[in-house]
Amino acid sequence: MLDSSTSIQWLGADILTTLVFLPSLGALVLLFLSNEAKNAIRAVGLLASGATFAVSVAVLQKFNPAIAGMEAFRPLLVDRPWIPRFGIRYLMGVDGLSLILVVLTTLLTLLVLVFSFGQSIPKLRGYVAAFLVLETGMLGSLVALDAILFYVFWEVMLVPMYFIIGIWGGKRRIYATMKFVLFTLAGSLLMFVGILFASGVHARTTGILTFSLLEWIPAASTGVWSLTGTQEALLFWAFALAFLVKVPLWPLHTWLPDAHVEAPTGGSIILAGVLLKLGTYGLLRFAIPLFPGAAARYTPLIAVLALIGIVYGAWVAAAQKDMKKLVAYSSVSHLALVVLGIFAGNVTAVSGAVLQMVGHGLTTGLLFLLVGVLYERRHTREMADYGGIASQVPVTTTLFVIAMLGSVGLPGLNGFVGEFLILAGVFKANVVWAAIAATGLILGAIYLLTLTQKVFWGPNRVKANLGLTDINAWEFAAAFPMIVLVVVLGVWPQPVLDLVRNSVETVVQIAAVRMVP
Amino acid sequence: MTGFLHVSPADLATVGPETFLCVLGIALILLDAFARSLRPAFPYLTLAGVAAANFLGGYAPGSAFAGAIEGSELTRFVDLLALAAVALVTLGADALLSRDKRNQGEFYALLLWSAAGLMLMVKGNDLLVVFIGLELMSIALYVLAAWYRDVPEATEAGMKYFLMGAFASTFFLYGLATVYGRLGSTRLTTLKGALAGGEGFSDPMLQIGLLAILSALAFKIALVPFHAWAPDVYQGMTTPAVAFLSTAPKAAAVVVAVKVLATLAPAGLGEPWRPLLSILAILSILFGNVVALAQRDLKRMLAYSGIAQMGYVAIGLATFDGPAFEGILVFLAGYLATNVAAFLAVAALSNGEKEPHPLADLAGMGRQRPFAATVLTLAMFSLTGLPPTVGFIGKLLVFRAAVDAGLFTLALVGIFGSLVSAGYYLRVVYYLWMKEPSREVDAPQEDVLSGAAYILVTVAILVLGVLPRPLLDMARAAVQSLPR
Repeated sequence: MLDSSTSIQWLGADILTTLVFLPSLGALVLLFLSNEAKNAIRAVGLLASGATFAVSVAVLQKFNPAIAGMEAFRPLLVDRPWIPRFGIRYLMGVDGLSLILVVLTTLLTLLVLVFSFGQSIPKLRGYVAAFLVLETGMLGSLVALDAILFYVFWEVMLVPMYFIIGIWGGKRRIYATMKFVLFTLAGSLLMFVGILFASGVHARTTGILTFSLLEWIPAASTGVWSLTGTQEALLFWAFALAFLVKVPLWPLHTWLPDAHVEAPTGGSIILAGVLLKLGTYGLLRFAIPLFPGAAARYTPLIAVLALIGIVYGAWVAAAQKDMKKLVAYSSVSHLALVVLGIFAGNVTAVSGAVLQMVGHGLTTGLLFLLVGVLYERRHTREMADYGGIASQVPVTTTLFVIAMLGSVGLPGLNGFVGEFLILAGVFKANVVWAAIAATGLILGAIYLLTLTQKVFWGPNRVKANLGLTDINAWEFAAAFPMIVLVVVLGVWPQPVLDLVRNSVETVVQIAAVRMVP
Repeated sequence: MTGFLHVSPADLATVGPETFLCVLGIALILLDAFARSLRPAFPYLTLAGVAAANFLGGYAPGSAFAGAIEGSELTRFVDLLALAAVALVTLGADALLSRDKRNQGEFYALLLWSAAGLMLMVKGNDLLVVFIGLELMSIALYVLAAWYRDVPEATEAGMKYFLMGAFASTFFLYGLATVYGRLGSTRLTTLKGALAGGEGFSDPMLQIGLLAILSALAFKIALVPFHAWAPDVYQGMTTPAVAFLSTAPKAAAVVVAVKVLATLAPAGLGEPWRPLLSILAILSILFGNVVALAQRDLKRMLAYSGIAQMGYVAIGLATFDGPAFEGILVFLAGYLATNVAAFLAVAALSNGEKEPHPLADLAGMGRQRPFAATVLTLAMFSLTGLPPTVGFIGKLLVFRAAVDAGLFTLALVGIFGSLVSAGYYLRVVYYLWMKEPSREVDAPQEDVLSGAAYILVTVAILVLGVLPRPLLDMARAAVQSLPR
């Protein structure tokens, strides 16, 4: 067994660069393989994503969660000039918040690839390569601390997802993928102008031309930028809209059901598991710390939208006949709860939100995965085409029930801890919000239990289901680690909470300082 | 000391590349007439000539021909763009031209002359020299437009471009005459000195003159409302030749506009000019992008996309400061690599010059011709401005300069245009990779030369997108050499 510290030395001081670009290296290797060499493609995919996961674990070990404030980024900071003429740097670092999402990303990408090997996927080479490039984009967005670098990675995510939905998607894939791209691009282009303006403000007020968050956040949050109310509001919305589209918050959510339904299973897992979280991550990393005043001013508005989203998402989910669409709308509801937690502005709620980001990634990822297992065999996602298949596919059923209960928020599984902390925190901030949000959870229990009942329990009426085979080895290998984490993080969420505590407290403190002038 | 007959070796060295290119063009025509069997070697001769001209161009910047011509970092930058465009087009065109037996020496000769003309135009420190360069560049392009002279669309393109181009040239001459009438000189440095003292720039006669000159340049750049020629010419002109027409000449015209404005208005743009350029930018971006959305012919779509792209350049012109000029140069270099890539790939994925280039012909090409399809895909992403391509770097610099100068409207129109453009650029990607072919397409096969062109443009788009520093340094040096 290699000692972890020596392996880190072998990777060099620049462990974050390795982390971010290792998947792309794998994609590059795939370029030289024939599309027919399925086993070689699988090996490269597994090796690249597996090694990336290992590197992320190494980063986790190397990270010191005890350091508070902006200093948390220092130990692993990568800082090189990139476009020095305009103060743009290759600046990357992690704190607890980004790190937990980094690990979630590397794990889910690995599992998605493992899962895809159990399914019949045409043009496998391109599929694996797209996910690897996507992983670079996601990891880069999470570790980038220079706003332009962040924007670059943010847009890099767009292209592979465009192909994943557009090539491997369902019948209406072209409509879905264009909608996804245009919605996301509309948000991110606004953010782009916001970034440019913010750098101009920073240069004018401090005399330093930089895009570094490490310099922006202290200057912006302490009022050095001396923005007028309108300027701060415009800047806040330029950033927040980009992230709220990605989350997606009602009424910006309409691209999500389309994208989810048309995306291949792997695409849905990554979309729900990571891409949506990048929206909430962006709020915590950019929109709130940079513009706490505006964030405070618009908290009531965003909270109302989030509450509508919680109830609306759950309500619409309950009316769905398509399993994937149901899970997609449940995401709208769950992520709205996360946004509510983030804007509740206390440590309890924000910690809960971060925990729920991880939890939702696991449980919803699992639900999409298991729906994908059924779809692969029957080529339908209509609930009416199933029923009573529990005896046919006992393993799938068991896994589904655990994932479903995790999503519902059953105590002992990870969904419960996150939701409980969010509600407890929101209750402190505003009782009415908490009451409305809680109804969303009840609705969530209704539609998810109904889904399980319609699909798995009862008499088996559909003849075509009699030949249904259970989950295969690759698919199970992908689902099992997620199930384990759903249970472990439900019983023992403390490690995650410890990891993110300092990041959460930093954000909350910055927000609180400006809220009380 | 005065007069054109006193020509020193240093003078000749300054226009060395242009002279060499012109002579090479004549040599190619003669070879074609007397040694027809050498035709397959013409692309190689052209490439060697480009390399030699590049070597000659590295020599001695400075004033020559008694100040009528001036070499600088800026002209060197444009030299490189022009030579790169000629080289890439030569590499990419041979497969198509050989197939159609259209690989006469004149094609390469015209390319070389056009490049010589635009290089001379940028070096001109005298508006008359600028005009001579402009005409040399344009006349060669008029002929190239009608290269497939038995194809009606090509003849139409040639005639249209010639008639409208000649009209634009008269505008330039009119403006030149007006400026001369008011200030008694056509020499830019003399004009600058004359303007420094008096009321200068705000004089109505000068303003009319400058307006006429800028209109002629806007015609070459194809900014709305001077764009009407572009779609028809793009559609009828030989595709590899469009790759040249749409990049290097436009870049040269933009640089001349920058140079003239920076010389005559060193303190910044005055009242009528910034709003005027802003309107050109906004109209070009909105009109170009929205109309491109409705196109079903690839080349027409790229024509409108070109109008919109030059609208982004016009944002830089309206911003009018050092960083904006750097942004313009970087944008133009990136646009050159990207658009040449796009047109070469279009040529390689279509039935040929005698038939239209419908978007639908691209269906299924991702599988049939992955190499060319990848190049076209990258070009589309770069034109959209998505990182990590060079198209993103250009937009970053131009928009940054505009935001820094407080021109938010222009920046917002720019990003709105980018969003709209994603609609039609990604439609190309959709056809390439996500749609099954509806009919057979008899496209010219790649040869070694076009393979080299693909690799070069791919490297340029990606490497300059990730590591743009060398390009930025060159652009900065070029802008610093502008007369202040």
